[in-house]
Amino acid sequence: MKLFALMKKEFLRFFRDPRLILTMLLPGILIYIIYSVMGGVMNAPEKETYEYRAYVSGSSAVVEPLIQTAVGTEGWEFLRAEDVDAAKAEVKDGKAAALVVFSENFDERVAAYTPASGGPAPQVEIYYRSADGESSSFYALVTAVLDGYENALSNKFDVNAGSGYDFSDAGRVLLSIMGNVLPFIVIALIFSSCMGVTLEAVAGEKERGTLSTILVTSVRRSDVALGKVLPLSCISLIGAVSSFLGIALSLPKLMGISFGDFAAGFGFAGYSLLFLLIVSIVPLIVAGVSAVSAYAKSVKEASAYTSVVMIVVMLLSLASSFVSGIGDWIVVVPILNAVVAMQAAIAGAPVVWTSLTSVALNLVYTALLVLLIAKMLSSEKIMFGK
Amino acid sequence: MEEVFEEEQGGREKIVCAENLQKTFTLSRKQQKIERSGSRKVAVNGLSFSAYRGEIYGLLGPNGAGKTTTLRMLSTLIKPDAGDAEICGHSVVRAPQKVRDCIGFMTSELKLEGFFTPDFLFDFFGSMHGVEKEVLAERKKTLFARFGIDRFAQVRVNDLSTGMKQKISLVVSIVHDPDVIIFDEPTNGLDVLTAKVVTDFLSELKAMGKSILLSTHIFSLVEKLCDRVGVIIDGKMIEDGTLAEICAGKPLEERFFEIYRSVKGEEI
Repeated sequence: MKLFALMKKEFLRFFRDPRLILTMLLPGILIYIIYSVMGGVMNAPEKETYEYRAYVSGSSAVVEPLIQTAVGTEGWEFLRAEDVDAAKAEVKDGKAAALVVFSENFDERVAAYTPASGGPAPQVEIYYRSADGESSSFYALVTAVLDGYENALSNKFDVNAGSGYDFSDAGRVLLSIMGNVLPFIVIALIFSSCMGVTLEAVAGEKERGTLSTILVTSVRRSDVALGKVLPLSCISLIGAVSSFLGIALSLPKLMGISFGDFAAGFGFAGYSLLFLLIVSIVPLIVAGVSAVSAYAKSVKEASAYTSVVMIVVMLLSLASSFVSGIGDWIVVVPILNAVVAMQAAIAGAPVVWTSLTSVALNLVYTALLVLLIAKMLSSEKIMFGK
Repeated sequence: MEEVFEEEQGGREKIVCAENLQKTFTLSRKQQKIERSGSRKVAVNGLSFSAYRGEIYGLLGPNGAGKTTTLRMLSTLIKPDAGDAEICGHSVVRAPQKVRDCIGFMTSELKLEGFFTPDFLFDFFGSMHGVEKEVLAERKKTLFARFGIDRFAQVRVNDLSTGMKQKISLVVSIVHDPDVIIFDEPTNGLDVLTAKVVTDFLSELKAMGKSILLSTHIFSLVEKLCDRVGVIIDGKMIEDGTLAEICAGKPLEERFFEIYRSVKGEEI
């Protein structure tokens, strides 16, 4: 009954304040918008918007592929130069992007040339402006095509010529890459949403003296601790779920695939485990921040301590990317255990026992932290600074 | 601790009994410089006194005498380093939760969450003390009407005047109808009207058979309200008795300074 009243108070404090609700939901909405816009830009069909002109002079077997590549890929106007000097002047004046000049009898001279002879190699001259973005892009394109041509002339063997060798679909490849980054992002978002509500609810109440008013009643300290951690976890979970939904709904857009394909690739098990892991991390972080807030004398002091905790949590969530050969012992390390399990789930290879053990252990750590907070609430040195 | 919760010869029941209470605090370097003392300060030094059911007992002393520390020990917010006190038969050291059940503690240091309304806070603190819903509703009606809070019951505390906030704190502190009410400087910071409401209510509580323990340095408040007085100086109980015994036929203010000079050996 007392615990219920304590929890109700925290919920009312949150749900009756529209600003707090908005603060909690905003990260998820922003993630969805930003990722969707990024995906829209990245996956939009390329349009021929360029109106730049480039010239080529001289003849070679590579000229035609070069023209095709430039025009086909970038939509450039690529013309044969009637007058090399006039074309060079246009490039210099910024009216044209570049001029490619093949020396006379280029192909024959290339065929006849041997590096062992020590003589000068046949040359292709590319006039351009490195300070100009479009001009230097064209320069890069031409050199890439010419390098390819040069390689083709002395080609002895190929590795995986053509396509169809990689059985991973594009979405899975991206998921694998995201698997390393996403847990870090998820933990960061969870931490920020937990921090937002917990600092104010614990350190704020302590600083204002309203927590002491509760402590002078006959309620048990463990009820007060639980009465903070449980509702604050639920509230933080709203923020975490909002962020999670923002990511889950916008990832397919970022990857340029339909949500159906994405969901099928990710799988129900992957989603479930990911959600369970988030549910176990939220109370752990809330309890951790609550303990720090209960120790601090003010919200300002609590913010400073929490920043240190945040760095530790972020390091733990990044550690799996740097530590090779992680064994089963990882499940005992809070946060890191969930990150490793999340990475596996996102990469499409969820390890059920690791995930469930991580969830269980994180909840045990949360319970221990609640006991610690209850002890702290009983300590006059911590609560009243004497 | 010997049996202290006993019937006195006059048929009066000891409801608060403190024996040899001691409390020492560690001073910060800044405090050490200001007070020109070592790192430890004895705030309460072997304090013993008793209060009886249905009386108002006043702890009188200058700032820093140890009044607030004594009341905080009695209200179980802090623990004594030595000694013990029994309130309604429960030890503040061994059974703090039972003590909290039978006391109402009010001090300016304990605040109410300004985001909530008086109505919500009354119900919330009623739940914290385990008061039945029906009893709580009846008590809320009576107390809110008595203090004129009923008109502001649904207004957030933050939006109320200081006097009204003080009244709400008072009402919330006695939500569970405690036998013993502990007030630390009950009229501090109040305007004359609210101060009168509070002092009148303390008299009413006394008439209802409640026992009140208050700390103050205001002589007129002691003379107006208190049945018995304890004079504390430097954490020690110097005088303890009825108001008439303490005053010995002189005005309280004159008598207090006599006592102060005799202890401190210095002019004021």
